Amino acid sequence: MSDQFISIYQSGEEQLLEKAVKDGAETMWDRKAAQKTPCGFGEKGVCCRICAMGPCRVSPVAGKGAQKGICGATADVIVARNYARMVAAGTAAHSDHARDIAHILHMASRDGNYKVRDEKKLMSLAKEWGVNTENRDIYEIAHEVAEIALNEFGKPFGTLKFLERAPELRQKVWEDLQIKPRAIDREIATILHSTHVGCTGDAESLVHMSMRTSLADGWGGSMIGTEFSDIIFGTPVPRETEANLGVLDEKQVNIILHGHEPSLSEMIVMASLDPEMQKLAKEVGAEGINLAGMCCTGNEVTMRHGVKIAGNFYQQEMAILTGAVEAIIVDVQCIFPALAKLSDCYHTKFITTSPKAKITGATHIEFHEDNAMESAKNIVKEAIENFKNRKNEKVFIPEIKSNAVVGYSVEAVIKQLDKVVNPHIDPMGTVKPLADVIKAGVLRGAVGIVGCNNPKSKHDYSHIEIMKKLIANDVIVVTTGCAAQAAAKAGLLTKDARKLAGQGLATVCELVDIPPVLHMGSCVDISRILTIVGEVAKHLGIDNSDLPVAGIAPEWMSEKAVAIATYVISSGIDTFLGITPPVTGSDEVVDILTNRVENMTGAKFFIEEDPHALADKVLGRIEEKRQKLGI
Amino acid sequence: MNLFQTIFTGSNQAVSAAEGLLKQAIEQKGRDHKVAFPDTAYALPVIYAATGIKITTLGELEGAIGIVKSLIVEELQLTQALNAGLATAVAAEIIEAIKYAMNETPYEAPCAGHITDPIIRSLGVPLVTGDIPGVAVVLGECPDSATAAKVIKDYQSKGLLTFLVGKVIDQAIEGNVKMGLELRVIPLGYDVTSVIHVVSVAIRASLIFGAVEPGKLDKHMEYTKNRVPAFVNAFGPLSELVVSAGAGAIALGFPVITDQVVPEVPTLLLTQKDYDKVVATSLEARGIKIKITELPIPVAFAAAFEGERIRKDD
Repeated sequence: MSDQFISIYQSGEEQLLEKAVKDGAETMWDRKAAQKTPCGFGEKGVCCRICAMGPCRVSPVAGKGAQKGICGATADVIVARNYARMVAAGTAAHSDHARDIAHILHMASRDGNYKVRDEKKLMSLAKEWGVNTENRDIYEIAHEVAEIALNEFGKPFGTLKFLERAPELRQKVWEDLQIKPRAIDREIATILHSTHVGCTGDAESLVHMSMRTSLADGWGGSMIGTEFSDIIFGTPVPRETEANLGVLDEKQVNIILHGHEPSLSEMIVMASLDPEMQKLAKEVGAEGINLAGMCCTGNEVTMRHGVKIAGNFYQQEMAILTGAVEAIIVDVQCIFPALAKLSDCYHTKFITTSPKAKITGATHIEFHEDNAMESAKNIVKEAIENFKNRKNEKVFIPEIKSNAVVGYSVEAVIKQLDKVVNPHIDPMGTVKPLADVIKAGVLRGAVGIVGCNNPKSKHDYSHIEIMKKLIANDVIVVTTGCAAQAAAKAGLLTKDARKLAGQGLATVCELVDIPPVLHMGSCVDISRILTIVGEVAKHLGIDNSDLPVAGIAPEWMSEKAVAIATYVISSGIDTFLGITPPVTGSDEVVDILTNRVENMTGAKFFIEEDPHALADKVLGRIEEKRQKLGI
Repeated sequence: MNLFQTIFTGSNQAVSAAEGLLKQAIEQKGRDHKVAFPDTAYALPVIYAATGIKITTLGELEGAIGIVKSLIVEELQLTQALNAGLATAVAAEIIEAIKYAMNETPYEAPCAGHITDPIIRSLGVPLVTGDIPGVAVVLGECPDSATAAKVIKDYQSKGLLTFLVGKVIDQAIEGNVKMGLELRVIPLGYDVTSVIHVVSVAIRASLIFGAVEPGKLDKHMEYTKNRVPAFVNAFGPLSELVVSAGAGAIALGFPVITDQVVPEVPTLLLTQKDYDKVVATSLEARGIKIKITELPIPVAFAAAFEGERIRKDD
């Protein structure tokens, strides 16, 4: 079954690209071709333009050609500086996302648009942060918790609160390395400072700072984003959905939600369910409103509401190419500005909503959080009214979609694990069953597969090939972001997919009643993975770096991915990159990232562009860690 | 040592023991000497179910050793670990078969050794109707005979069929457990390998009641997992051999509950140090639900006591 089971995930795409040519629409492939051969200096990270003496470019080969920039910065310094700035940008993106969510909790009220949906989670966080909960209104507590979170971005003293969630051994590693982040924005600013001309001139120091900044993302921004989204919108529980462009419906108003912040997408979900909106859709001749998600905002709404997944990063243009999308509503991050021109070829309205991400040529309808529902309805109305303009002769929806089970938050995973707890031996509500199967060897390890799509790699191919190989070798896979959506489209998020797993993993899937690949959410939800790894390490009384676990970004592309990979390493988890980062111009930086960093954090980077070879390396490294641990 | 490595070690021990015994037996009796268990139409039932081959002579057993060896592939994954467990089971059957080939009555009271086909057929109906809600295999040695008796009597009072292997047999006798087929407590033998006689019961249930074709090992394992509600209690220190035999039980779908510290596998391999909870833990692990109407009477009351004979002295 395996090949047929998997291969449909890409079908239909070629037809859409042919349609693009016919319709005179430009896609990323046209633009990639127009770029011709990429610049070798940028590709290797040895091009610097941080001051007006430059731009400088130095030779990536030691001892040959220009060895230093005008200021004297070597290839090592330039590469490390560029890398550090990528980490800072990625951290900034996740953190600004989180900041908005914390603000939303701060404005939440009993009769407002934003409410507290998961009181239990709020109360446990209040307790964790020492907020008095006795005889207080839940909203009063929420506002105080939100304020503490908001202070995490710029507090003048101390270090981040969530760091204390890590195993004690890990906290000690951070303490010894002096990379405990202080305040989120501060770490980002410090990197921008230190990478200014004439500041830090030492590669190792820049990597060191990058680690501290990235931790402000994983254990700061992203974790706040996830925790607060759960509190406001509910902690995900397992539910069924469908994925791929086939979820678009010819007979309905198709609205695509693309971007990242659930504060917008949640309201759009509610607005589209509103009877007034439903009525309006009927009036324009549609059978209803069909909401479909894309990228991380798609992950957020599918995790919490089972909203169908139209596709991942790579498919944002393809969705418009179907000619069946009335509106693509976006907020921030990973949105091609090209969508403005592309949607002009069709009736599709490209609607930007955030002042943080305006795009020339788009229809900008600003989303106001203090008036969220009304705001959302205005946007939905714009989409519905556009149904009339659809040109049926231009519509082609590929008939491809797969079933998927999503919604595996840490809480949901633990609840599934309770199914196999023998109540005469162990208490419920712990990660012990997971720790047990790893220790016994029934599962060889656990791997998080995350990241983007990248035209340097065949679309979704690396994601799927690596997942298939790992599950066949009894390694459980958890996934987020566009990797998760690739898995959904390939059918790997079904319980039936355990047929592709090795006997150990298949047995675990059967007993626990889960798919072999677990969708844990959006990119900020990688913090969920940090949490569960940390809980297993704590249960076994060891550090994250001792566990047979790994992180993989097979098709990464964004600076967020760089920040993520760096905090995963800093958290003691080996990270495998399927796309070579722009660091190869410096032997020193490559040596730090793929070798020396292991002595600091207990984990390191592996760079391997061949997915099969990458999977083999992961399996090898997992066995190495098991052996060291004696399990 | 990691769990899978322990299993492989035990399996290798089992196979070399079998190989050594077989060599000796052939030297003494020759290749053509007859091999059979009494009163069964299924030759050596485990080997027959797994391969479809009926072994009748010592010479043919040499081929069976090859099967055992082929099952031991020392790769650290569950499939290989369970196969190694099955290898131990087959090796145990070879060893037990040699006992019967070398000696007309290798087992004497209280031990039963091989269980005959007629007995299995007689157990079929109560197993199907749920009158026998489960099969407990109690193996090894309890800290004392009172504990052993308590656990066994508890199974007995719940109507389970209990097989005993090892020193626990003596402990049961000392603890005044009444035994016999009618009383649903059957001591098998003192050697670990005698546990194969209960595996043989499960496998023949699959052949007889499940009508599963011989040679289709996967189907037999599916049948035993779904239809034979057995589990194992392994008490006392666990040798590598016992652990690898345990893997064989798990391969057949039978959870193992032990009082020793082992790398636990949820629902399949569990540590329960509290002897008062062993029975409840085991029933839960095997998903055995017992409908009980407890009668407030001063003696144990269960179907297991139906065939009890009251002797003059009692």
